[in-house]
Order: sequence, then structure tokens, then C-alpha cells
Amino acid sequence: MTLSYILTILVSGLKLGAIYAIVAIGYSIVYGILRLINFAHGDIMTVGIYIILVLMNRAGLPIYVSILASVAISVFVGLLIERLAYRPLRDATEETTLISSLAVSALLQNILLLCFGAQRQPFMLPGFLTQGHTIGSVNFTNINIITFIITAIFLVALFLLLSKTKIGIAMRACSENMKAARLMGISVNKVVMVAFAIGSGMAVIAGFLLAGEYKTVYPSLGFVPGLKAFCAAVIGGIGSLGGAVAGAFIIGVTEILFAGLMPTSYTAYRDAFVFLLMVVVLLFRPNGLFGSTKGERS
Amino acid sequence: MKKIATLLLALAMVFALAACGAGGGNGGTDDASAAPTEEANGGGAAVTGDVIKIGGIFNVTGDQSSIDAPAQKAFALAVDEINANGGINGRKVEAVFYDGQTDTAVCASDAKKLIDNDGVIAIGGLSDSDYAYAAGAVAQEAGIPIVFSGATTPDIPDVVGNCAFMTAFGDDVCAHAAAEYLYNEMGARTVYVLTDTSMSYTSNLSAYFVERFKELGGEVTLEDHFSSGDYDFSAQIQRYLATGETDAMFMSTGPDDASTVIEQYRSAGATAPMISGDGWDADLWGVAGDLANKDVYVCTHYSTGDTSETVQHFIAAYTEKYGIAPENAFAALGYDCAQILFKAIEACGDDITAENIRTNIEAINGLVCTTGTISYTADNHVPDKTVVVTQSVDGALKFITNI
Amino acid sequence: MKTNVKLRDCNLFRLVCFIIIPLLFLVFCALQPKSYITGLVITAGIYIVLCASLNLINGFSGMFSMGHAAFMAIGAYLSAFLTLSANVKMNMTPGLPGWLIHAQLPFGVALIIGGLAAALVAVIIGFPVVRTKGHYLSVVTLALIVVVRAVIDNQDKLTSGSRGLKGIPTKSTILTVYIVVIITLFLLYRIVRSDYGRGLVAMRDDPTAAQTLGINLVKKKISCFAISAFFAGVGGGLWAHYLTAISGASFYFTKSFDIVEMSIIGGMFTLSGSILGALFYTVVPEFLAPLENGLRIGGLQLPSMFGLSNIIMALFLIFLIIFRRQGLMGRSELLLDSWFSKDTYLALFRKKDYARLAEGFLNLFRRKKKAES
Repeated sequence: MTLSYILTILVSGLKLGAIYAIVAIGYSIVYGILRLINFAHGDIMTVGIYIILVLMNRAGLPIYVSILASVAISVFVGLLIERLAYRPLRDATEETTLISSLAVSALLQNILLLCFGAQRQPFMLPGFLTQGHTIGSVNFTNINIITFIITAIFLVALFLLLSKTKIGIAMRACSENMKAARLMGISVNKVVMVAFAIGSGMAVIAGFLLAGEYKTVYPSLGFVPGLKAFCAAVIGGIGSLGGAVAGAFIIGVTEILFAGLMPTSYTAYRDAFVFLLMVVVLLFRPNGLFGSTKGERS
Repeated sequence: MKKIATLLLALAMVFALAACGAGGGNGGTDDASAAPTEEANGGGAAVTGDVIKIGGIFNVTGDQSSIDAPAQKAFALAVDEINANGGINGRKVEAVFYDGQTDTAVCASDAKKLIDNDGVIAIGGLSDSDYAYAAGAVAQEAGIPIVFSGATTPDIPDVVGNCAFMTAFGDDVCAHAAAEYLYNEMGARTVYVLTDTSMSYTSNLSAYFVERFKELGGEVTLEDHFSSGDYDFSAQIQRYLATGETDAMFMSTGPDDASTVIEQYRSAGATAPMISGDGWDADLWGVAGDLANKDVYVCTHYSTGDTSETVQHFIAAYTEKYGIAPENAFAALGYDCAQILFKAIEACGDDITAENIRTNIEAINGLVCTTGTISYTADNHVPDKTVVVTQSVDGALKFITNI
Repeated sequence: MKTNVKLRDCNLFRLVCFIIIPLLFLVFCALQPKSYITGLVITAGIYIVLCASLNLINGFSGMFSMGHAAFMAIGAYLSAFLTLSANVKMNMTPGLPGWLIHAQLPFGVALIIGGLAAALVAVIIGFPVVRTKGHYLSVVTLALIVVVRAVIDNQDKLTSGSRGLKGIPTKSTILTVYIVVIITLFLLYRIVRSDYGRGLVAMRDDPTAAQTLGINLVKKKISCFAISAFFAGVGGGLWAHYLTAISGASFYFTKSFDIVEMSIIGGMFTLSGSILGALFYTVVPEFLAPLENGLRIGGLQLPSMFGLSNIIMALFLIFLIIFRRQGLMGRSELLLDSWFSKDTYLALFRKKDYARLAEGFLNLFRRKKKAES
């Protein structure tokens, strides 16, 4: 168990954490306002990847155009889902919306299955994105770096949006207390729509990076990362974007450390480990590691 | 009032279904329940009209779909072909397909539905043992022969009974062939084993491989695990590299993970030859690209490079019908599964009963299929086929040797 | 003349529609034990047990569990261990303790022990679970499924790993399953009608008020969790002895979501809802299956579209949640009220019930006429 070994798996953990982080940001922005565990978030991500794939491979569009078009379409899909499946439930209990999101998730997965089949399809990025670098025993690719950078950009952009813009402040108000916000004249529907648009758009970018890193896409690809993003949000502290990112890195690193350091007969327990980690955090810090004790958005 | 209406509606539906159940498969039900389950003679349905109904259960949705969907397509292709050639002894074949939804209960229910409602005379399908046990138990009770297309757990006929047949060789044969090829032909003495613990197929394969490789005198340096659904293998790879490269790597994963595993291990710098079972007779190049052409060996059912007329005809026909080449070996097995049924039905002449088909499957001797020559005996319902060792070269699996 | 007698309030009507007809139907099924329809009815019965036990938590106590598959798995494995023969276990699961390898018990006992094991696990994990609220609780129960699956898949010696248990004797017949269904529903019905059950509802509707009334919330939540897990374990046992082969994969997210889905469809606030939901969920997909196979409508051959029935069911669920959130059954306990009430059965011998029935029928037509005019 040399130092360089531990260093390599740490880097692997950071790479995985970056992927979780970028999914978790989009996840938290919706969760922070609606308190909705959006099981369908991961599936919007998958839809976005498939759209990119179709535009790139079948329509022959350049990659940037495909991504932008996919973001636009997915934002539309996200808003449509919000309008049809979530808005009518605005006054319902948390569990009802949870079920609704579960149904939407099943719906999207099965539609993808019907359109594209269950076969895993290769998702190849242009060479310069997957170009690898080696420092010592540590390997990484351009896409790893880009993931880190985009995560940081998202974080800063959202921070500015939430603190400097009118709609951002309205979002924070809704997240604190939706009823009070409505009384203050804030259009809650508008705020939720903006959150969904941002969340869905980010989901596509996250999906692009996820599929690019693992080079494949299939209809149920997004479900597990979606769940892990939720774990990350819980561990970091619900409502805190920075917390969600931190939680994602914690999950990524501990997951890989667990798989890399435990005896090999336990490596297959790694998903169980992540969920247990979340339960333990919930028990001792119900507001997450970085959530404020009052449960407010930081 | 609305509630009553809803309730009545639900009841009405149940009854409508009951009516179907009673009307549809009359002969089948009564005979089947009267006949003893073991060595059922004359039990089950019989074909009287000029259409022979056979059933197909495939998990075309859910986790199994990437394996079962091609198998179902190939099965349907075989049915089309036999009908285009005038059917079996002048009778048309009609295949009824149900989706098992990768759910054991649904598979069992599908088998009941096929036998009871559709009155099928024989069933084919399913590529994994969990679902095979569930559907098989139902078919066995009704005395209807069931031929599993892709399931490879060798104990299936023992667990299910004398109505169950396998199209593929058992996992033991496949894994032993891999071990022998590594030890004898490649001279490998140390080996790394990666196992997907969430599938029965992969767990079995690894267990048989490790047993045989140790028996031969080799050493298993490191055994590591994952569950399908993980798409990040970095922890396993780093541990392998840290332990030191071995003479060879045995990768026991399902077809879905194959290309991803190759890509991640190879790009991280693992260079030892990789070998796997028939699960890897899939698209190895999709994700891995050219990396998959570096020292990757697959022990499988057939080689697409096989120039025999049977194999080339199958590939051409499949490509023509569906616009793509067979996705994986399970397609070939689905095709062969249908051929086995056709052969046995043909041998029945005009006396087509479930029991006759069953005994005629047992009597099959030297049936040339895409995946080898198939023979059964009354005691052995797992065909004793040769394992084809292939190597991945330039985007295709090239034949190396038979074991 | 009493004009407000509704047909569904007539004991005789209830007797015929909710007891005699279903009973005759079950007998009809029992006479052809291997038929497809019987298989469906058995599946529905097992789902009723699972769904009713889920409703106890989700509908009555106000906690929202999605971890039923985990308790099912525990009940299924343990009861299977207790009915499999020692030889089989020696081969398949050599890691089990000696006494468990040699134990072979009657089906009923095995079911109960399986249920108790599930309840025990529920108590142990109950302490952390009940500390969480709302959908956190749901996600913690999902975590339980992941953990149970990981243990089943990786404890090769104990559970035979992902190869699963096979050759489990077929003990779940129409008779045994529906005996369990009736007992389960009866017990659950008594529980929700007791002080304990009223306490649960109080806790659901207003935890603070319930606490001031002297209800110990933690105790109540954990015990409710355990009772529900017990019946889920029993349901899992039935499941194992119906399918004869089980593995971890059969008790994963999908199974849990299925049960939650039927509970929502039927209505989670009543036990009758679980019956309707389970029936609906078993029967309706069967009608959708022909669609997937490429239906022929008036000479037009539709292509086969596998996955279509899942899409339709998902859409239906979304519509249901939006337009009839309380489920098909709503808040009516119609079915169980009629099953477990003396009056329903005595109605056969009471003249006034016949009169009411006639009244009810007449009202049915009257109302129709009124609607027409």
C-alpha cells in the first residue's frame, strides 16, 4: 500500500466526485426550492445525451451546436414535465410529488427504450477532449479538467445569480418560505420554472461529461447518478449549493477509497457504502455537513 | 356511485380474463392438470389444425433486454424463414411472444399465459437462469417442452425437470475451456479475476474458472468484484496495477460492461491478455474502439468469421431483416433455439403433441446449428458443444481454436 | 319512503358482490390450479398482502417507506431456508449455521418466522429510520434495499449469492395464499380500528397534538414499521414459494416501486385500497400486453412496441396523482367493512335487508331518470 497507490486512487476519487458534483448542482437547484426529490433529473440527463448523440451522428451537426440544441430541447422537456406533472401538485405532500417524479422517470426511460433500444451505444467525443495526460503515476484526460472547470463555473454563476439578480433573490425567498414569498408578490411559478430550466440545462451538460467520460449511453444511465447526486446533496446539506458539491466530492473520494482499500471481497459493497454514509450523516447531522442548523440556504 | 363503478369495473375485468382463460386454452389446461408432471405422457396440448403455435418469452425490457432483444429478433427471423419455406410438414408456425420484463414473476406468468391462453405446444427463450427457473417450473408442470436460448447455468435441466433443454453449453464447459486455453496454449501461470457479483452467470463463470485454473496448477493472484451498474472501474484497476500485472486477466462480466471494462483497463495501462466467456461475444469495440483489438480473447458459441453456410446465411438473413448485424452471440442462440424446436416438431410427423416434441428433442443427434452441432440424450439436456476460442482482431472475433 | 338508500350500503348487495362472487371465483380458480388465470390470482393475492402492509406505514402512520422489497427479501430468504431440505442447503448455502441447515418446518411456521425476521430487522433499522422525516425517510428505506441486495449478492456462502435459491417447494397455492390474505387483512383491519390504529392516524394528522395526548411517537413509529415489515416478510415468503427460484435481483428498486405504485393507485389511506390497487396492477398490464405484440386493428398491423405498457402505466399514474390523489378507492373502507362485519353475513336471514336491496335498486333507476330529465 504505497503512497503513490493511495495518490492514484485519490485522484480517481476526485474524478468521480467531479462527475457527481456536476450532476448534484443541477439537482440541488430544483431541490432547494421545491423540496422535491426529482428522480427524473437523471433521466432528463439521459434524454439530453441521446439528443446530442442523434444530432451529432445522424444529423451530422458539429458538437457545440448539438450540445446547445440539446440544452434547448431538454430545457423545454424539463419545463413541460414541471408544467404537467409537478405544478398541479404544488400543494400536495412531499411524497406525492416524489411518486410523480418516479412515474416521470419510468416514463422517460421507457420512451428512450422504445426509441433507441436497450443496447449500450458508444458515445465518442472528439479526440482533443479525451486526450490523456500523465503526471507520475496519475492519469487524467482533458475531459476531467473540463469537468472541474465547468463545476466551478456553474458554482460561481449560480452564486452570482442567487445573490445579485432579482430572480435569484426571489428563488432564495421561495426556498425559505414559499407561502411568504407568494405573499410578497413573487411569482412562484416563474421562479420554479427558472429553477427547472437551469436544472435541466445543467443536467444536459452534466450528462455530456458523464457519457463522455464513460463513453457510453443507455436508457437507464442517469438513474443511479441521480440517486447519488441526491446523496451528495443530503451529505453536503440540502439547499447549500457549495455543500452539494462538497458532498459529491466526499462521496466520490470515499467510494473509491472504500473500493480501493477494503479487502476485495467487499469491493462490490460500494453502493451500499455510499447509501450507509448518507444515512449516518442524516442521523448525526440532519441538515448535512455544511447545511446551516436552521435549515436555511447558505 | 363512482366508487362502485370502479369496483365493478375491476371485477368485470377479472371475469373477462377468466372467460378468456377458460375459453382460450381449453384442451391445454385440462389435459395438463390431469397429467402427472414427471414423465408426462401424452399430456399437454396437441396440434390439430394446420397452424403450429409456439411461444417465446424474452426479457425485451429491463436489464436483460440487451441480451434478450437480439435473441427474440433472431427467433422471429427463424419463424419467418420456416414459414417462407412452406412451414413444417405443410403446417405454418405461429410464434407468440411475451415480454418477461426482466421480472421472474412476469416470466412465470408469461409461461402460464402461453400454455393456457395461447395453447402453445412448446416454448423457447430466456437468457438468464433466474428467469429460466421461474418459467421452466411452469412449463414443467404443464408438460410443455421449453428450450432456453441463452441461459447457461448447467444445472437448469436438473432443477426444472425433463421438459427443460438448453441451447447453449454450460458455464462450466465455457470457463474450463478458458482456463485450459490460458494454461496450456498461452502458458499463463498467474491470473487476475474480475467478477460481476450481481449476475448469476458471471458468478458461476468465475467460480468454475478459478476451480479449473487452480486444478491445472495456476495461481489466482487477485480476485476483485463489482456490481453491474457501476461504470467506474478505477478502484479495481488501480488495485490490480498496484498488485502487479499477471500473465492474464479473466473478466467475468455481462455483455453490457464488456467494452467499458476493456476501455478502462487498457487505457489505464493494464496490458495482460484478457479472456472472458460467451458474455463477451458482444460489441467489444463500441466504447473501447481499437483498444479492444489488443490481446482480447473470448470463449464463445460461434465465430462470425466462420465460413460455414449455416453461420453466413444466418448473419446475412439477420442483417437483411433488421438492418444491423447480429448484436451478440445471444442472437445466434435464439436462432438455434428455434431450429431445435422446428427439428423436433418436424420429427413428430402428424402426431404433434407436447410429449412427442419433448422426446424428439431428446432424440436430436448432430443437428448442425450456427453455434455448433447439437445433440441431446434422455439424460443430458445440455448440449455437449465445442467451445470456440476467438481473438478480437480488427473489430471482429477471429477463430483461433476449438476446445 | 327512504330515498337515500344507496346500493353499496345494502348488506345483501355487499354480500353478493364483495364476498360471494369473489369467493366463487377463487373456488373456480382453485379447481384449475395450474391455469394462467390462477397464477394471476395468486400473484394478486401476494401483492394484496404486500400492499396492505405498505399502506399501514404509508397511509396510516404518515411515514412514507419505499423499502418494502428489502423486507420481502428477508422474509423470502428465511422462509425458503426453513422449507428447503437439508441436502439442498448443504450444497447451495453451506455457510448457514448447522441448526438452520437441518431445520425443516411446515410452510405456515416458516412464513411466520420469515415475517418475524423482517420485523426484527425493521426494529433495528427503525431507530435511525424514524429519526428522519418526510422524503428523507423514503430515501433511507431505499438505502436499505441497496444494502440488503449487496449482502445477498456478496454473501455467497450464506445466500448462494447472485445465483439465488432455487428448487424452493411450491407451497403458495390459491388456498394458502388467500388464507394468508384474509388473516393479514383481518389483523391489519383490527389494528387500524383499535386504539393503536387511531393513535397512528392521530400521529399522521398532527404529530404534536398526538404527542401531547401521551402518544410516544418513536415507539409508535417503530412498532408500526415492524408490523408492516412482518407482513411484508410473510408476503416475501409467499412470493418465494410461488416462484420457486429467487435471487437478490428480484427484490430491488423495481419491485419496491411496483408495490408503492399499486398502493398509490388503489389508495393508500385504506386497506381496501390495497386490494383494488393490487388487482388493478396485476390485471391491467395483461390487457396492455397485446398492444406490445403489435395489435391488428381492422387490418392495420401495428408494429410491436415493447415497453409500451410501462409507458401507459406511468402516464396513468401521473394522471391519477393529479386528478385523484387519494387513489381509486379514495377513503372508503367499503371492502373490508363488508368482509369483517357480522351484518353482511346475517343479511341473508333478515327480511329488512332484502327490502333495502330492492330500495337500493329502485333508487339506482330513479337517479338515472332524474339525471335524464
